[in-house]
Amino acid sequence: MTTTDVRPSDVEAAERPNRAKAQDRLFLGVTRASAALVVLVLLGILVSLVIDALPAFGNFGLAFLWNERWSPAKDIFGAAAPIYGTLVTSVIAMVIGVPVSFGIAIFLTELCPPMLRRPIGIAIELLAGIPSIIYGLWGFFVLAPFMQTTVQPALIATLGHVPGLSLLFSGAPYGIGLLTAGIVLAIMVLPFITSITRDVFNTVPVMLRESAYGLGMTTWEVTRHIVIPYTRRALVGGVMLGLGRALGETMAVTFVIGNSHRIAASLLSPATTISASIANEFSEATSGLYTSSLVALGLILFVITFTVLALAKWMLGRVETH
Amino acid sequence: MNMSDQSLTENGLSSQTPAFLTPGPDQPVKVRVKNLRFTYQNGHEALKGINLDLRDKSVTAFIGPSGCGKSTLLRVLNRMYDLYPGQNVSGEVMLDGRNILSRTEDLNRLRATVGMVFQKPTPFPMSIYENVAFGIRLYERLSKAEMNVRVEAALREAAIWDEVKDKLHQSGLGLSGGQQQRLCIARAVAVKPEVLLLDEPASALDPISTAKIEDLIGTLAQDYCIAIVTHNMHQAARTSQYTAFMYLGELVEFDETAKIFLSPRHQRTNDYVTGRFG
Repeated sequence: MTTTDVRPSDVEAAERPNRAKAQDRLFLGVTRASAALVVLVLLGILVSLVIDALPAFGNFGLAFLWNERWSPAKDIFGAAAPIYGTLVTSVIAMVIGVPVSFGIAIFLTELCPPMLRRPIGIAIELLAGIPSIIYGLWGFFVLAPFMQTTVQPALIATLGHVPGLSLLFSGAPYGIGLLTAGIVLAIMVLPFITSITRDVFNTVPVMLRESAYGLGMTTWEVTRHIVIPYTRRALVGGVMLGLGRALGETMAVTFVIGNSHRIAASLLSPATTISASIANEFSEATSGLYTSSLVALGLILFVITFTVLALAKWMLGRVETH
Repeated sequence: MNMSDQSLTENGLSSQTPAFLTPGPDQPVKVRVKNLRFTYQNGHEALKGINLDLRDKSVTAFIGPSGCGKSTLLRVLNRMYDLYPGQNVSGEVMLDGRNILSRTEDLNRLRATVGMVFQKPTPFPMSIYENVAFGIRLYERLSKAEMNVRVEAALREAAIWDEVKDKLHQSGLGLSGGQQQRLCIARAVAVKPEVLLLDEPASALDPISTAKIEDLIGTLAQDYCIAIVTHNMHQAARTSQYTAFMYLGELVEFDETAKIFLSPRHQRTNDYVTGRFG
């Protein structure tokens, strides 16, 4: 081929590889940058939390973690009360939420008529979609008064007299407090644990399920002895995922927790959680040490939820590769 | 079709003369299927009026191309179809003279009487010992010593005792495929069933494991009424006294195995057992 024969298409054909290559390189660069951004943001948040929390830890040392006193007027801060409140409300949420979630998931996978399966599934997804501020409003205006007038007096009158349990159910019925916050949290984590549990139950091979029924087992026996043991790890993962959410939930809890930096044994007493303390007090934090203490609370929450979620992912991941 | 089926495909079974199992003398009818019809939820009629008798202490093989209804028939015999809504059955299945399709039938009892083994091994997520003991415990309260005896007997019956006796308390999932399948058979016979349904029990196994399962079927046939679904013609010919050939939801031909393979009355049966179609 001589140069006089060169056709436009040949020129394009010759140039195309270079242009395409450049385009591809740009494309790769952009996507890689996007991915890198995620890691950078995560690290950035962690680093800034650590830097801003340093004054608090410098001033109070590690004792910040177990000191209960929280006195902005005297510039003395300790994280024990919010940590305690966070853990206790989350545990209450799990104690109530997990059995109910398992019940729903078992009903949906083993017993539910197919006609109802979709409507119930959609209802659960919608429950997950309700903004947390609405749970907070509902908790404060509907649940808390109901707790105060009906549930808590009943608890005090009954469980309040049972040796061992009396400490947990003593004091005046305020309506707001650890128990109410725990119940709101339980409702909030319900859809997450339910949908994960349902998906996990559906991974049980049909033939394994049938061979259990084929031996004459009842639905309860199949669920208890075959389905749950087969999916144990993933179930724990799902519960941890719910726990991660409960630990970090802010708005709804802030409404109903009572915001009191005290550690009391009674589940009926007002308390505070890490996220509720931050949300309530960041605008009032005048001194540097106050602000730093709030950031330190944030750092503690970050570490706790990160650990829980990482553990959950690890457990769920182990099942998928099983 | 696997390699060993070649002798069948060319000129029937005449190239070698396999010794067909002959039915025992006058075994009583254990299961009588009368005018059985079955419709799936999507309206597909999978069984179109099946009539046949399964005799006690005999093996009846069900053969036919995929989708002919043989697995469906098996799943009617222990009412496994009841797990799924919208499936419709009519006709009668008499087990020792009792219609098991009746609404009042106790399904858990029925499934203990009519055991089933599936295409793939399905050991439960528990130890080898527990896999067997679990089913027994559903129906009987035994002391630990009695239970040990029963578990050992079941594992021996399934010809797997020698391979697992030293690791009874390890997970059943750690066994090989063939061992798992024999464990599943042990689990099924442990509850002292009267009928055993085997749904392609060797289809997921290697040839050596398959041979072991086939030997085992022969032994078990001395005690149980066995129905086996298989895609392997040799397996049907080797293991059964009776063979039922099904096609598109109908029972085309049902007779002693030797007759089905050597002198079938229907052209379609002949074509299928010689490998010309299917």
